[in-house]
Amino acid sequence: MVLVVFSGTPDRLLGMSVLVSGAVALDMEVDIYLMLWGTYAFLKKNLEKNTELSEHKELATQLSEGLKNAGLKPWYEILKEAKELGTVRIHVCGAAAKAWNASLDDIFLADDIVGATEIIDAAKNAKIALFI
Amino acid sequence: MPLSPEELKKLKPDKTVDARGVSCPGPLLAAKRAITEVPIDGILEVLSSDPGTARDLPKWAEKVGHEFLGVIEEPGYWRIFVRRKK
Repeated sequence: MVLVVFSGTPDRLLGMSVLVSGAVALDMEVDIYLMLWGTYAFLKKNLEKNTELSEHKELATQLSEGLKNAGLKPWYEILKEAKELGTVRIHVCGAAAKAWNASLDDIFLADDIVGATEIIDAAKNAKIALFI
Repeated sequence: MPLSPEELKKLKPDKTVDARGVSCPGPLLAAKRAITEVPIDGILEVLSSDPGTARDLPKWAEKVGHEFLGVIEEPGYWRIFVRRKK
């Protein structure tokens, strides 16, 4: 499964982590390609402070409490657990890394930095390819 | 064919994972992690208060090659039984 992650808000990234977990549970290999805002959200310095939702911002407090009551971990903890349990590779778009002046070490769980051709090629060859 | 609740209650699981209070995908990942700690043909029991898990784990077991044995519904949670097959 290939996920091209352009978005960087925690609500969308929570959806990403849930899908990655499901795929890992089914022994599927997952390749995540981080683009502009996805890369920004994966910067280690931003993980916890990146809290603004993509939709219905007025529900942020209600959602936060609802997720806490539901026993749901933050998106990055779910993703970390999934990566520990299965094959999850996290690739960073080179242009995005450059835009944020980030090296591989600055980006949470990142494996390598890639170019657009590789992203398209991976999506073309995947059984499931999603854009988030 | 899943076992009846009476048959399930007689099983002696090799491992029980308590994933109550955790939402999807927590119980699923807990099951994936725990199944490796069960011997082949051994039984894993997952306790979950997440309504989706009772549907999710049978599908997971089928897809990855384990045997779903059945579910017992208890007040506020489910007991889900899977036999490790590989």
